[in-house]
Amino acid sequence: MSIIKTNDVKKWFGDFQALKGISMEVQEGEVLVICGPSGSGKSTFIRCINRLEQHQEGEIIVDGIELTNDLKNIEAIRSEVGMVFQSFNLFPHLTVMQNITLAPIWVRKKSRSESEEKAMELLNRVGIPEQASKFPGQLSGGQQQRVAIARALAMEPKIMLFDEPTSALDPEMIKEVLDAMKELALSGMTMIVVTHEMGFAKEVADRVMLFDEGLMVEENTPTEFFDNPQNDRTKLFLSQIL
Amino acid sequence: MNLDYKKSLAWLKENLFSSIPSSILTVVTIYFVLGFFRGLFGFAMASDKDWLSVLNNMQLYMVQAYPEEDFIRVWISVGLALVFAGMSIGLWKSTEESSLSDVFSKFLRVSLAFLFFTVVAPTFSSVTDNDGLIQTEESFPMDTRLQLLIPSAILVIVFFVLKNLNLNYKFNKSDLLCFYLAIPIVLLWIVKLPTIQLDSSNQRIIPDPLMPIADTTKIPWTIIFGLFLGFYFIGSRFKDSKNMKRTMSISWVLLPLFIFSWIFKKPEIDLPTILGQDIPIFIGIFLIGALTITFINNPVVEKYFSAYLGILIAITGISLFISIPILLKSALLLLVLFTIVIPAVSSSSKGKRNLIIVWGVSLFTLAVLIRGGSSDTQIIVQQQSIFGGFSLTWLLAIFGTYVSFPLGVLLALGRNSKLPIVRLVCTGIIELTRSVPYITWLFFASVTMAVFLPEGVNFELVVRVLMVTAFFSGAYFAENIRGGLQSIPKGQYEAADAIGMSPFQKTSLIVMPQALRAIIPTLVSSAITAFKDSSLVTIIGLIDFLTIGKVIIGTQSIPVNFVGHDRENLLFIAFFYWIFTFTLSRRSMKVEKRLGLGER
Ligand SMILES: Nc1ncnc2c1ncn2[C@@H]1O[C@H](COP(=O)(O)OP(=O)(O)OP(=O)(O)O)[C@@H](O)[C@H]1O
Ligand SMILES: [Mg+2]
Repeated sequence: MSIIKTNDVKKWFGDFQALKGISMEVQEGEVLVICGPSGSGKSTFIRCINRLEQHQEGEIIVDGIELTNDLKNIEAIRSEVGMVFQSFNLFPHLTVMQNITLAPIWVRKKSRSESEEKAMELLNRVGIPEQASKFPGQLSGGQQQRVAIARALAMEPKIMLFDEPTSALDPEMIKEVLDAMKELALSGMTMIVVTHEMGFAKEVADRVMLFDEGLMVEENTPTEFFDNPQNDRTKLFLSQIL
Repeated sequence: MNLDYKKSLAWLKENLFSSIPSSILTVVTIYFVLGFFRGLFGFAMASDKDWLSVLNNMQLYMVQAYPEEDFIRVWISVGLALVFAGMSIGLWKSTEESSLSDVFSKFLRVSLAFLFFTVVAPTFSSVTDNDGLIQTEESFPMDTRLQLLIPSAILVIVFFVLKNLNLNYKFNKSDLLCFYLAIPIVLLWIVKLPTIQLDSSNQRIIPDPLMPIADTTKIPWTIIFGLFLGFYFIGSRFKDSKNMKRTMSISWVLLPLFIFSWIFKKPEIDLPTILGQDIPIFIGIFLIGALTITFINNPVVEKYFSAYLGILIAITGISLFISIPILLKSALLLLVLFTIVIPAVSSSSKGKRNLIIVWGVSLFTLAVLIRGGSSDTQIIVQQQSIFGGFSLTWLLAIFGTYVSFPLGVLLALGRNSKLPIVRLVCTGIIELTRSVPYITWLFFASVTMAVFLPEGVNFELVVRVLMVTAFFSGAYFAENIRGGLQSIPKGQYEAADAIGMSPFQKTSLIVMPQALRAIIPTLVSSAITAFKDSSLVTIIGLIDFLTIGKVIIGTQSIPVNFVGHDRENLLFIAFFYWIFTFTLSRRSMKVEKRLGLGER
């Protein structure tokens, strides 16, 4: 059963058309990697899935709920879909623990002790249990991004979106974040990952997509995608990046 | 010790005399600073200055014309504030410690200041004589200087030695604060400053033995300080209790309301009305609200909720036009407002319990304010306002900030709102208020405002001034806060959206706290400005702290003649303002540090 389904999604910023009709499906438990040149609309597309951006045409159905202007639907979908940003976007005035427990307490209305227990579990999972009482400003980039992953997971989402989670990190920190993501993928989470980490795509992805100028130009299994690309755009992209 | 000395010499050389221009600058600065203090001390010690005109008028300075038989209300207010302060210092007890050396170094600084005074104070100062000519007189004779010099030098040496013994006893910083506060209280009992007494022919006599100036106030101050200590200890017992802290924070918010009500009015405590009317109304309405909160998630209640709300609104609407106690009317109104928000905020059992507490506290506050405010037995004074002197300054500063800060937050949010009409109104209010000078607003309050109020509604001048002040500084707060809001990166909003927070949660938990943190320095300087600007109210005939010194005392001839002694009072006032604003800015620096602003 497909958990995300989009149909001919189009999106304009003013006169500029960023998405020119994207149709795709993601199955439950699937890991989908999206790559493509800068400005091709990758971020715009995954941000449409939890309505940080609003699409103007076409339809997006997440977990059986269609995304419309209905606020109830938007809130329902946002608590099902976790998101990790390129620039972490942790809340600098709150400790790591507070960052993670904020949404469970205020949005899910869970008790503080339960949420903190769960948060510690998540911090263990991403490998930084000892940082719970620090502030984001006191952590390294890699640690911050792992806190951001834990924060998104605290809502117990069915789907996780990653928008270039490692491109703001120093090379030595990329691995620790990718490891956390791999572990998550193995646990059966549905994930859409925008990334240029081709190693990650080869190893973890079930499918890889290439975006170019607002269109999805190729969609394939990782082996096919890397070894036997069909589209000229893909060949060019791979030759530039590998 | 030798090392210390070398180190300070090196420091001097490096920082003050590193190059020729810097040496010149150092020397010139020292010359001017010394000149300033010599002038100041000379001015203060000249024989034509009558410092008793300050000392003797303390009561006037503080409360002006407030009736003496009602002073107990003032003491209760001050006492309550200090008791709360004690409790809070205990609850939020600092974990930091100071060593005995730190304490001695504080004492060393004070004695150094004293030594500085005895050394620097000029021997001669100029005096205006009866013919208006300026004469020079010896105001600080050498033998007096020597008499003071020796003890102060000894003090300096003693504290210097004590400090450098490096005694390592540690004291908790909060405990130390209580100790420092105890010093002025003890001084009240020891230091004797003369009060003026008049003999039968209205000539001044200095009574013998000296009557301490603080005789009338030392008992209340001591009692209050005792309570302060008591509540400090109670507070530190409960310092791990989150509920106590929460209760305390709410109490601080409510305190000004209560003080305001009992300082202004003399509530008539009519037991039959209270027992027979107020309490039943309170209990009845409280129960309705509490039951609604408790059963809001019950399917039956959910089904008929909108019908219930409709009926409630209808009843409240009707009740406004029939003659029932005003308390019932306003309690119903509060109930309606509360019932509207109940479904949005209470779904967990913890949320429900908190909401019931909030409901009870707001209803209780409403009841007390209405009982206090509706009685006609107002305190009567001869003046425009029962507030005068420092109490007026303080009222304008505290109450002004108290109302204008939330107003500023709302205006700033409104100005950023997506709804055009809200944005328009808020922008309008801000621009209108800011574009007119404060003084003009004061005249508006005193002269024109009555025209804009509905017939029969009339506020006291102070209340009208408070209203315009709230808007005026509210507009400034709003613009500061808007600046803070703009400094929040877009990613913060998106992150909050992405974890499913509602717009209200996003604003109150993510955006506002960060925006306010970013602008603490600006907020403090706004608060300081508001505090000082309060002295402008003299223009519309209110008598504030400054006016008392400048106008009232300077022209006072009965019972004691102080005509022409306004300069010493002005100096005192300047010092007084300085103490308050300086403390405020130091405190805010500490808060900034604690929030780690500098580190990020
Ligand atoms: N808020 C916006 N307003 C106007 N144009 C925008 C906005 N956001 C994105 N765009 C434009 O839409 C296009 C797609 O942007 P998007 O951020 O989705 O690209 P991307 O594929 O994520 O690129 P990158 O790899 O650099 O992150 C770009 O040309 C960009 O300039
Ligand atoms: Mg992008």
